[in-house]
Amino acid sequence: MLTLTPLEVEALGLSLRVAVWSVGCSLPFGLAVGWLLARRDFPGKILLDGLVHLPLVLPPVAVGYVLLVLLGRNGWLGMWLRDWFGITVAFTWKGAAVAAAVMAFPLMVRAIRLSMEAVDRRLEAAAGTLGAGPVRVFCTVTLPLALPGLLTGAVLAFARSLGEFGATITFVSNIAGETRTLPLALYTLIQRPGGEAGAIRLAVVSIVIALAALVASELIARRVHRGLGRADGRQRHA
Amino acid sequence: MAEGSVAAEVTLFAAASTTDVVEGLADTYARRTGEDVKLSVAASSTLAHQIAQGAPADVFLSADREWMAFLANADGVVAGTCRIVLGNRLVLVAPQASQMELQVADGFPLRAALGDGRLALADPDHVPAGRYARAALQSLGAWRDIRDRLAPMANVRTALFLVDRGEAAAGVVYRTDAAVAPNVRVVGVFPADSHPPIAYAVAIVAGRDTPAARGLYAFLIGDEAQAVFVKAGFAIRSDSC
Repeated sequence: MLTLTPLEVEALGLSLRVAVWSVGCSLPFGLAVGWLLARRDFPGKILLDGLVHLPLVLPPVAVGYVLLVLLGRNGWLGMWLRDWFGITVAFTWKGAAVAAAVMAFPLMVRAIRLSMEAVDRRLEAAAGTLGAGPVRVFCTVTLPLALPGLLTGAVLAFARSLGEFGATITFVSNIAGETRTLPLALYTLIQRPGGEAGAIRLAVVSIVIALAALVASELIARRVHRGLGRADGRQRHA
Repeated sequence: MAEGSVAAEVTLFAAASTTDVVEGLADTYARRTGEDVKLSVAASSTLAHQIAQGAPADVFLSADREWMAFLANADGVVAGTCRIVLGNRLVLVAPQASQMELQVADGFPLRAALGDGRLALADPDHVPAGRYARAALQSLGAWRDIRDRLAPMANVRTALFLVDRGEAAAGVVYRTDAAVAPNVRVVGVFPADSHPPIAYAVAIVAGRDTPAARGLYAFLIGDEAQAVFVKAGFAIRSDSC
């Protein structure tokens, strides 16, 4: 039977909190960047595209190191946050959420961008000719049609956030109850003699959650397609 | 490589705290014998697990007896080759710019000295340096106070790095680590009797008892290598495991 110890439950709870905050806080940005990349041409677009995708191809340790240098106690961004807003992210679960958000951001933006590109521009134009302003068109036409991509992006980012390891351990260390998320707890258990039973349990939990997230994203996408009831809403999958 | 009857390379898994020294020794050894020394440095706990799972190490240098014993219990080392070769000391370090002044002694006010900062150390759950540090802080009565102020890292060198960068208010590392970090200042040395004696053990990995492994092993416990370790601040020990 899969009975988790209190420490494992703590790690799982922490992971869920980190992932929820990671996705919740990055979703508006993901939406904005996804829209920008799908709909606008501007100088430096390729550069922005590259920057957004960087965490996907960079070693996670490099991302963690950059975050530490920027957002640590002595990083210029970290000092600024502390002096002006009283926020400290170094060595806290908030920092873990930041690391997870950065690592998951490319996945989110990709899904959103693809779904935005797939939205039939003629529908938006039609709404425009019927007198809807750009904001209203976006909210009542573009966004609902792009919803499957949005949800898929959010779920993928959530799953990626749950699994973040390299950037997290580099940036916010491995503090029990604060930054020791599921993968870090698993790593710690592997290092400990006799910790293997716990490691197996956490590996199983990770697999279950990740699989559930992937299945959920697929089901959501299908349901939304059906709800929209039209081929125009169908997604191109990369 | 396939044709060679003589191994052209030999692999050493070594505790992270010995990084600089074994890098230098590997160079010396390679120049001397023409045999390439491949190095993998990490926490002794990580290395012991990797070797137990079949990692291709020939010689293992562990920062404590326990992880060597763990491997020996898993039939992972050649019987009779395990030797205690080095000792070390634990120090409390702070960033160079820090004002921290503390006497490392029984009941010392470490928590107050940390302020809102953290104490970086190797993960006390498994890494030798972290285990020694936990034992020392426990015996000096400081552990309970600072348990929620720790920043446990994957090995002692990453803990050192946090102090070096000024991210952690202080850290517990080996004296030899403090010596190689430019922006780190030793605040105090932990009393030698506040923790189990620090003992580095070396052994040949089971199934790798080759002339190449023997050669490197003999070199590591020989006078020349020991002199290099001493120069880096290690103590020399010579005990059976």
